[in-house]
Amino acid sequence: MFYLKKLYKTRKANVIPGFGLSMGITITMLSLIVLIPLFSIFVTLSGLTFAGFWQVVTDKQTVATYKVSLSCAAVASVVNVVFGILIAWILTRYRFPFRRMLNGLIELPFALPTAVAGIALTTLYSDQGWIGGFFDKIGVKISYTTTGIVIAMIFIGIPFVVRSIQPVLEKLDPQYEEAAAALGASRFRIFLKVVFPEILPAALAGFGLAFARSIGEYGSVVFIAGNIPYETQITPLIIMNKLEQFNYTAATSIALVMVIFAFILLFGINLIQARINKIARG
Amino acid sequence: MKQKIIKLSLILLGVAFLTIMLILPLATVLLYAFRQGWETFLKAVTDEYAIKALHLTLLITVITVIVNTAFGIFAAWTIAKFRFRGKQALATLIDIPFSISPVIAGLVFILVFGRIGWTYPLLEAWDVKIVFAVPGIVLATIFVTFPFVSRELIPLMQSQGSDEEEAAALMGAKGLHIFRKVTFPHIKWGLLYGIILCTARALGEFGAVSVVSGHLRGKTNTLPLHVEILFNEFKLTASFAVSSMLVLIAVIILIFRNIVEYRVKKEGR
Amino acid sequence: MYVELQNINKKFGSYQAADNISFSIEKGKLIGLLGPSGSGKTTILRMIAGLETPDSGDIMIDGSRVNDLPASHRGIGFVFQNYALFRYMTVFDNIAFGLEVQKNDKAYIKQRVSELIKLIGLEGLEKRRPHQISGGQKQRVAFARALAANPHLLLLDEPFAAIDAKVRKELRTWLRETINKIGITSIFVTHDQDEAVEVADEIIITNSGRIEQIGTPMDIYKNPATPFAAKFIGESITVENYGRFHGFEMDESYDKAVLRPEFVRVTKTENELYSHTSERGTVEGVFFRGNMLELRLSVSGINIFTYRSLEDDVIAVGEEVNVLIYRLFLYNENKVCLVENASLKNDQMFFI
Repeated sequence: MFYLKKLYKTRKANVIPGFGLSMGITITMLSLIVLIPLFSIFVTLSGLTFAGFWQVVTDKQTVATYKVSLSCAAVASVVNVVFGILIAWILTRYRFPFRRMLNGLIELPFALPTAVAGIALTTLYSDQGWIGGFFDKIGVKISYTTTGIVIAMIFIGIPFVVRSIQPVLEKLDPQYEEAAAALGASRFRIFLKVVFPEILPAALAGFGLAFARSIGEYGSVVFIAGNIPYETQITPLIIMNKLEQFNYTAATSIALVMVIFAFILLFGINLIQARINKIARG
Repeated sequence: MKQKIIKLSLILLGVAFLTIMLILPLATVLLYAFRQGWETFLKAVTDEYAIKALHLTLLITVITVIVNTAFGIFAAWTIAKFRFRGKQALATLIDIPFSISPVIAGLVFILVFGRIGWTYPLLEAWDVKIVFAVPGIVLATIFVTFPFVSRELIPLMQSQGSDEEEAAALMGAKGLHIFRKVTFPHIKWGLLYGIILCTARALGEFGAVSVVSGHLRGKTNTLPLHVEILFNEFKLTASFAVSSMLVLIAVIILIFRNIVEYRVKKEGR
Repeated sequence: MYVELQNINKKFGSYQAADNISFSIEKGKLIGLLGPSGSGKTTILRMIAGLETPDSGDIMIDGSRVNDLPASHRGIGFVFQNYALFRYMTVFDNIAFGLEVQKNDKAYIKQRVSELIKLIGLEGLEKRRPHQISGGQKQRVAFARALAANPHLLLLDEPFAAIDAKVRKELRTWLRETINKIGITSIFVTHDQDEAVEVADEIIITNSGRIEQIGTPMDIYKNPATPFAAKFIGESITVENYGRFHGFEMDESYDKAVLRPEFVRVTKTENELYSHTSERGTVEGVFFRGNMLELRLSVSGINIFTYRSLEDDVIAVGEEVNVLIYRLFLYNENKVCLVENASLKNDQMFFI
């Protein structure tokens, strides 16, 4: 309590009541539900030497999962940025039938349970599904390949990029584009030189979020992936496998790698965004 | 004119993408659910295990939403209305569950309460089961959806400033009174929006629950887990039939979300 | 005529921004579009630029009809009220933008941009970004950017509205001089009549989507063509029972009159020369206005005001003074008419 009071007196006195109580509750719940459980990772690994840890996380099969997860997430997130910009553009700038319905549907990947998405995508892209069947005829398999994983990751990432960029486009003052038009610029040049720099920070944020989510996603991806070691096994899945084999040490070690990576990723994205915001706002 | 062709192509491309990525999967669920007729659908949906799974899922969701809403309000109040050192760090810590894979979320609770967990001796002494039982599922779901309400409220309350609350406090109003009369009206819709997001995620949580539940049919099976089991047993129709219930809830959530977003936008003026 | 608008109409929902507007502008002139907010002046400017399309009517620039020509092909320079500088580009790149669109070679672009930077007096700031320069500097960059690609028409939308009052005066003078130096036909929009009067060769007064009057500032001031023009330009008050003033009779076709402070002359009773034509008035208030005094008077029950030099004899509140009203602008809904004080015509005999 004393520490809390010290924290709070660093600036001028706070007039609003309830700081002690709400801060207390916040920190207690945060610790109980998030911090202490997360800390258990370190507790569990406390018996492991660094060499032992390193051996587990650089095991060949595990490394293969890093490659699969990272490469698929990267491809999926890039696709999401490209199409995310396109979709945000047409939703904010154009009018067409069903526009409002499609706009409302963007959050579907958030609202739909991941398992349902997983089985729906798997069935759709299997060689008997509508899309999968079509591609099967031309010799392309989607379900149970990395392509399938990428498609599932695109699915879950759609709302991140679209909803990051949309508000920026909506609030963008038309005078910048008008100025460029008055100076003779073509629509394409206007987009490239005037609009794009404005939406870049938001696009990067969306990319980061989609990427981070794709790497950790389980339900939507696990069904369509097929879990073939070295080929379509994603990292969350190998953690699951280790758990089923009661190999808690391995599971926890790999989990730690994922957590560290997620932090670095988000930190990096925040950094890039901050720099870009500096350029615009100073 | 060239402009019109470009505009049309962009629209077609965007709509095609959304149709393929979003609408087709939805359609797949509905189609396969009813593929073998209305009766088969009803049978799968009213199956004993399905109903039990539904109850469990709803129970967990209600508890989770209540806990996380309460937390969200306290956390947002702390961060948005006061000045103190370490505010940014606190906000970042609260967001952690958002960036952690659900499988890891389930894992950590096993590390705390599972057989190798450090609390295990205590739990065994009192004969309390957490992992592979309902309490574990609840905790894992709370973890995963922890920041959903606070993420909505914090920026909202920050942008609204603390002037009004300070004015009320200077007039002698107490904390709860200030919250009810001054703050709450402003955050009504944002709060509802956060609750909706939290509900959606809690209903559908799969990865974390999968790790922690033990998959015991009738006891620790949530609806998404039930869907998985049916699918793995190749009972496609049943799996999709049960899924369609979740889809229905998802669509209702989407509609609610759109209504609320519309209201939030109005509020912001 | 360089720019011509013929029967232009534009409606936004139920709001008529332009109501059968026609006017023309000579080459090389600096024209001010003056009017209250919502009078349609910005809409007219934007239609000339191609940023809005008229519902009907023709817009001609240099003899050709440009209605169907997009903004990017009209060869105009546009300066926005809030500058609209590209936030992610340096000052140099902003100014160079139009030149790059025209695909000029690098050397030419460098030379031309340097020329312009010198013209606007911002040497040394080429590498800065918009957020690193002041409001006045931003406006000058916007100006240079609009001029870079040698447009033949320059359009400015309330160019000084977003700038501090002090800087505004300096920029106004600078703008006028620079435009005269370059000799480009220019149209600017403003709601500030001091600005229009100071900067423009000719003024077009707009009101509710219609043109009230076109003329030089002096012209409009001395000979307002409509009641709106009479009231909008210069300072004035509206008087209803003007017949009460000595030397004026009520005319039934004009129910009100506009009285400008310079139409009123106040003298202390002991100094009065016009005792036959002037009337008595009471001083209700004396206010210091920085470089002169404002006097509020009550004459025959009507409240009027005028200005008095600080050099003249002191007049106190409550004092009775002699007031002479030289002339009035009588007006009704549609017409305005200048009427001289009738008793003055007789008195002229006394001055040789």
